[in-house]
Amino acid sequence: MKIEILQKIIKKKSSKKRFALLKNLSNGKSELFELENQLSDDFKAHKKNIENYYNLKKNGVINGTKIFIQNYTKPIEVIIVGAVHIAQYLVEFSKNFNLKITIIDPREYFIKKQKFENIKIINEWPEKILKQIQSDNRTALIVLTHDPKIDDPALQFALKNKFFYVGALGSKKTHETRCQRLKKSGYTDKQINSIHGPIGLKLGGKSAPEIALSIIAQLVLETNKLNI
Amino acid sequence: MKKLPELEIIEEAISWRKFKKKVVLATVISTWGSSPFEIGTKMIINEDGNFFGSVSGGCVETNVIQESIKLLKNKHTFKKLDFDVSDENAWDIGLACGGSISVYIEKIN
Repeated sequence: MKIEILQKIIKKKSSKKRFALLKNLSNGKSELFELENQLSDDFKAHKKNIENYYNLKKNGVINGTKIFIQNYTKPIEVIIVGAVHIAQYLVEFSKNFNLKITIIDPREYFIKKQKFENIKIINEWPEKILKQIQSDNRTALIVLTHDPKIDDPALQFALKNKFFYVGALGSKKTHETRCQRLKKSGYTDKQINSIHGPIGLKLGGKSAPEIALSIIAQLVLETNKLNI
Repeated sequence: MKKLPELEIIEEAISWRKFKKKVVLATVISTWGSSPFEIGTKMIINEDGNFFGSVSGGCVETNVIQESIKLLKNKHTFKKLDFDVSDENAWDIGLACGGSISVYIEKIN
């Protein structure tokens, strides 16, 4: 395989488009594939099969051929509200997964105090930013401030729009009062129950890294259910 | 869920090539039964026998490394390696998971 193909994979991964790596196992040739691109002579004869596997996001040696395909899907968009200590560990753990994180916090003090590397941080009220985001079934929202005036509008936005995962930090009691507020604002039980709250898988830990681990574990669990 | 360490492995391969090391890329191309890793999982091996990444839970790596070093020494550019429990050698290598796995090794140039 040519080193240029590996360099292209790194480059393409940082753009948000999806693509696939193809290998012709009978002659050792490889190339990257996108729907709009032409296939070279090494792969042309298998165009239909390749497109079929690409559309189904199926990986492996295509049945009855010597063509291997590996799909590179877009990262999961994770919007975190609250540039708090737990968010630092979420960023740390997320590096091992196909996740793209954006942090929103209207409190300038938090934005300045915490250090986040290579992460988009927005110092603004979440409802203002969320309105500009095109969410889909690959978008997740995690609210961490447990301050109703910051968290609630973000949660309300997520319940009205397409998010595959919505999680809210807070004790059982905090979450109960949060649910009551949402109910008063006219949200249905079904909508409210879709929030993972208290957020995270139960690991029994109370420290920031332990809570972040339980959140990431739950996010990975929900992501794996998506079949993407 | 595609794991990002793959990108680390690819970046490492690029850096090895910058240092003029001969590099082989190993990719899991098919699995059957209870193989631990998903299709597309990668590992790189260089002429010194150094490796990064993995293609199984440690079951077949030794063999993949040996075959990769062999590949670097001959004129072929790629080879498909099949590991299966029904294969006598597989027991020696220790595919204890009870699955089978195909690994494609190729020179990076």
